[in-house]
Amino acid sequence: MSVLQLEEVTKRYGDKTAVNGISLTVEKGEIYGLLGGNGAGKTTTMRMVLGLIYPDEGRIRYHGKPYSKELLGKLGYLPEERGLYPKIKVSDQILYLAELRGVSRATADKALKGWLEKFEVPEYYGKKVEELSKGNQQKIQFIAAVIHDPDILILDEAFSGLDPVNVELLKATVIELRDKGKTILFSSHRMDHVEELCRNICILHRSNTVLKGSLREIKASYPKERVLLETAAPISGLGELPGVTLVKQEETHYELRVTDPAAAQQILHTAMAEAAVNRFQIVEPTLNEIFIKKVGDGE
Amino acid sequence: MRSFWTVMKFTFLNHVRSKSFISVTILFALLISAGVNAPSVISYFSEGKLTKVGAFAGNAITSGLKAYLNGQDKAKLVVTEYPDQGSPAADEEFARKAVANGEVNGFLVMTSSATPGAFPAFRYLSKGTITQTGTSSQLETALQTVKLNLTVKELKLTKEQVAQLYAPVALERIQINSGSVGSGTDTGGTAAEGKTPSEQLVSYILVYALMVLLFMALSMYGNMTASEITAEKSSRVMEVLITSVSPLKQMFGKVFGMFLLGVAQMALFIVVALANLNLPNNRDFFSKNDLDFGSIPASLYIYFVLFYLLGFFLYVILYAAMGSIVSRTEELGQAIMPITLLSLAAFYIGIYGINAPSGTFIRVASFIPFFTPNIMFLRIGMFGVPEWEIWLSIAILVAAILFFGWLSAKIYRTGVLMYGKRPSIKEIRKAMKAYKL
Repeated sequence: MSVLQLEEVTKRYGDKTAVNGISLTVEKGEIYGLLGGNGAGKTTTMRMVLGLIYPDEGRIRYHGKPYSKELLGKLGYLPEERGLYPKIKVSDQILYLAELRGVSRATADKALKGWLEKFEVPEYYGKKVEELSKGNQQKIQFIAAVIHDPDILILDEAFSGLDPVNVELLKATVIELRDKGKTILFSSHRMDHVEELCRNICILHRSNTVLKGSLREIKASYPKERVLLETAAPISGLGELPGVTLVKQEETHYELRVTDPAAAQQILHTAMAEAAVNRFQIVEPTLNEIFIKKVGDGE
Repeated sequence: MRSFWTVMKFTFLNHVRSKSFISVTILFALLISAGVNAPSVISYFSEGKLTKVGAFAGNAITSGLKAYLNGQDKAKLVVTEYPDQGSPAADEEFARKAVANGEVNGFLVMTSSATPGAFPAFRYLSKGTITQTGTSSQLETALQTVKLNLTVKELKLTKEQVAQLYAPVALERIQINSGSVGSGTDTGGTAAEGKTPSEQLVSYILVYALMVLLFMALSMYGNMTASEITAEKSSRVMEVLITSVSPLKQMFGKVFGMFLLGVAQMALFIVVALANLNLPNNRDFFSKNDLDFGSIPASLYIYFVLFYLLGFFLYVILYAAMGSIVSRTEELGQAIMPITLLSLAAFYIGIYGINAPSGTFIRVASFIPFFTPNIMFLRIGMFGVPEWEIWLSIAILVAAILFFGWLSAKIYRTGVLMYGKRPSIKEIRKAMKAYKL
């Protein structure tokens, strides 16, 4: 049975529809990516999953059952904007939140120390949140979301405001949690993160689902249109080849767009005739491109 | 229930440990100590400090005045005699000089002794302002006595006649009471005797204390509660909190935590006040002023505590609701204005009601839950109220607390998820519908 299941869930605020008939299923040990531009309905969807607001239509099932108060202790939430008491010590507020979700103080304290150790910041235990940098506050926020060892984790823009090193650290942690069998609903603007982490995705655009399914299938269904070419000397006449729609000359290489695979082969032949080819690659479309294509169409 | 305690404990501990709370508490404790000790300290310093009044020698009035003041036990005035300067103008100039160079604190100058036999008029020259009436009123009393003595002597009255003349008028004040509760002497009769003056004085102090304490506690803790909720909202902790604990528990946990904090602080202040009152220099102050706190029935103290608690809850809940409407601390002042005005109104109606506790207006006000704590207690303390009226008002008050608690929790739940500008009542109602609350 799926851990989390949304069926045709719709939410309206007055005349405005915030989420229109979204359906998705997340299994145990899976990270599900929720993508979309600003105001697409990601946060509203997450809030409905959290039980903060109730859907107008459709239903949400947790392990096959509807929402209940008992779920509060099993849900972990990382809000997009930081939600911590600025003037209270890290240990005090994390233990408070853990206690509210039914974890004993001693257990929570041990878990907190473990997490701080893991994030290489054990000295923050007794510090006030306002004394920490933005990125480090995000780490504390993450700990607040997982301190009670929830089954379902909802991460809204988990990596925003972090430097690359810390992004890797948190990414590794999210993967670790997935491998422990947690169910994770993950939203982001950053397509590269989603590509790395998620098995299934759902792209929202202006309250509607525009694309949904397994990331691999989605990518496979899109034609491979991009060609990277790196040669020892400049090549002329690439633009005149049939099937080539765009030639972009970068510092070290060419980036081309083609309409069919045959055109790509044509490019290789032309290049080889003129100079030594250092690199030739037909690139699979990135999620970023798919997203822009899908969402950009609607503009 | 467990999370309710957790919220309460967290709220309480965070404030108790905060520097601002500790410093405010210490400051108030010092102020209370100073206030309690002020009367005895002032009298200590003013004791033995005499006001020197100059007067011209050579007439019966000056010597009479001197004799009278010397005969007084604790006279604050002492008369210094100066030889007559001859003419009224010279007298006046001499007197002015004496006051100006600080030789005496004031100078008493006779202005006219035109008709022989008539008591002359006086002028008192001093550096004092018009508001410093102490010395002049003492002088007036002294002169009045001197005049009486002189007249008595002139009329050659007998001792008995003098005694008759001086005998004071007796006027005893007795309150007639149609109610039954609050009376110290009787509970049954239809026209029972009311409170004795001493009881009334103690009741008056209690009524006043309740109004002042409640007003102070509300403006302090109400504001604290509201701003804490707004801060939680603006720092978005709220989103994490409501996914952890139900809003009702969250809000009531907070209100109870604040309440506990208020009670702890108040208890500390009362202990400080009592400790100071039991200092030897203050102990005789109460017996001297006929204040016996044991003279009033215990029920009044119980009502005092009950109305304080209920009033505190009602208002703090309202403050909490207002705090959850706005999302920025800067907007908070405006949002809580109505509640502050309401508590001010309760305070001033109370002040007005002390003088007219039996009026219809006060009676009606005592059943309006926002005013009940102050006004009903005032009626009980000052006048006596039938028991059913008291319990009816308490029932209305409790019902109001439950209703506003429920409403506030809803506003809290809705307001928490509404960011941006302060929503209107219509918008809140719409949001409640949208969120299915």
